[in-house]
Amino acid sequence: MSHLSEEELVLHHFGEAEDAAEAQAHLSECATCRAALEALRRDLAAVPMPEPPARGEDYGAEVWARLQPRLAERRFERRRVWAPLGLAASLLLAFLLGRHWPHEAPVAAPVSAAARERILLVAVGDHLERSEMLLVELVNAGADGQPVDISTQQQYAEELVGANRLYRQTVVRAGEPGMASVLDELERLLVEVAHRPSSLGPADLAEIRSRIESRGLLFRVRVIETQVREKEKESTKTAAGTKVVS
Amino acid sequence: MIKPRSDLTAGPAERLTERMGGGEDEAQAVTRARGGDNEAFRFLVERHSRDVFRLAFRMTGNEHDAEDVVQETFLKAYRKLSAFEERAQFGSWVHRIAANCAYDLLRARVRHDERLERTEGPDGDRTLTVAADDPSPERLLAGREVRRRLRAALARMSALERSAFTLRHVEGMSIAEISRALDLDASAAKQSVFRAVRKLRMALGEQAQWGITT
Repeated sequence: MSHLSEEELVLHHFGEAEDAAEAQAHLSECATCRAALEALRRDLAAVPMPEPPARGEDYGAEVWARLQPRLAERRFERRRVWAPLGLAASLLLAFLLGRHWPHEAPVAAPVSAAARERILLVAVGDHLERSEMLLVELVNAGADGQPVDISTQQQYAEELVGANRLYRQTVVRAGEPGMASVLDELERLLVEVAHRPSSLGPADLAEIRSRIESRGLLFRVRVIETQVREKEKESTKTAAGTKVVS
Repeated sequence: MIKPRSDLTAGPAERLTERMGGGEDEAQAVTRARGGDNEAFRFLVERHSRDVFRLAFRMTGNEHDAEDVVQETFLKAYRKLSAFEERAQFGSWVHRIAANCAYDLLRARVRHDERLERTEGPDGDRTLTVAADDPSPERLLAGREVRRRLRAALARMSALERSAFTLRHVEGMSIAEISRALDLDASAAKQSVFRAVRKLRMALGEQAQWGITT
């Protein structure tokens, strides 16, 4: 038998050799391979790995204390996501109508209108931000060519689809083709992600990435998110000014 | 002071399943947790948190990331409880989930390594540190050089190689267990361990000239 290769020595050291008996027999006869194995062991023993900081007896209880609200959140997440949608959609409609026909719209009490606008802008901004985060995760997923479990992202996408649909329909009714187009494209991608298998190979991930990048979806979502956030800031400043005056 | 885990490299490592042995009370807790009993799930979380943290820290090399992995692990376990086969060990199962979560985090972090490197400067090392018993200038200089070499070796290591190596070398998982934890086939897991060892040896191979002996 020829000398053991470096790979065979590594596998033998870790007890994973395909034919352990044969490797052992060779090692017992071959001083060169024994020396090589010894050198390998010395090198591996020299690799310092960080020692975990100590955790006290109460650590489990601490973990549970942080975890428990998140479990409850998870259980009620769907309900929470949907609850404000009706309000947000009606506010969105009012906001967009206000943008197009500001002078013809009925004049509401100024503070109340500003508050409604801010709620709406925060809701839409948050939706776009969450969508952007998901898109970024998908673009970056599987960069090392390995299959990726996207079940968490799928759950997220599923939740965003419902909100997105409502916003899109409202925007279409309000005659905002630019924003409607972005939300439409976003929604189709979210639906597709939600319905794919939870484990995606490099080809599937590349396809999703290409879809996001080739149509500039991430960029377009960022643009409208920035617009909404700017509007939100203006709205907050106006509200602060109104309070001071009153 | 951090020392190499020579006890784990000298021979077969302590098996994960031995450390994570369950018992009748645990089996009952799993059954109850699957039925929606949160107190039973709490029992499981409290029982396995420290082991999960240790694994997460060894894989990520970072306390904050390890805490995130612990939380993510138990959230995933909670969500996937219905898929857990009751005949299996809950500890081994949750460890696989933790390894997978840490691997995901490492993959995300590797993408930002260059940025982190710039932020932390040339001596910052988030992953590996070297013990120095003797703080003489020569020793410190040599230790710094070894850190630099290890950092370079880690930079050349993919998240998969780093994960597979840690799970094999430190955690004592078998190749079969690693492939299950990281959703790989066995040959990919084996190759990743081998490549990681090769990269580390290339970095460590020159340490003798810097006066480091083990």
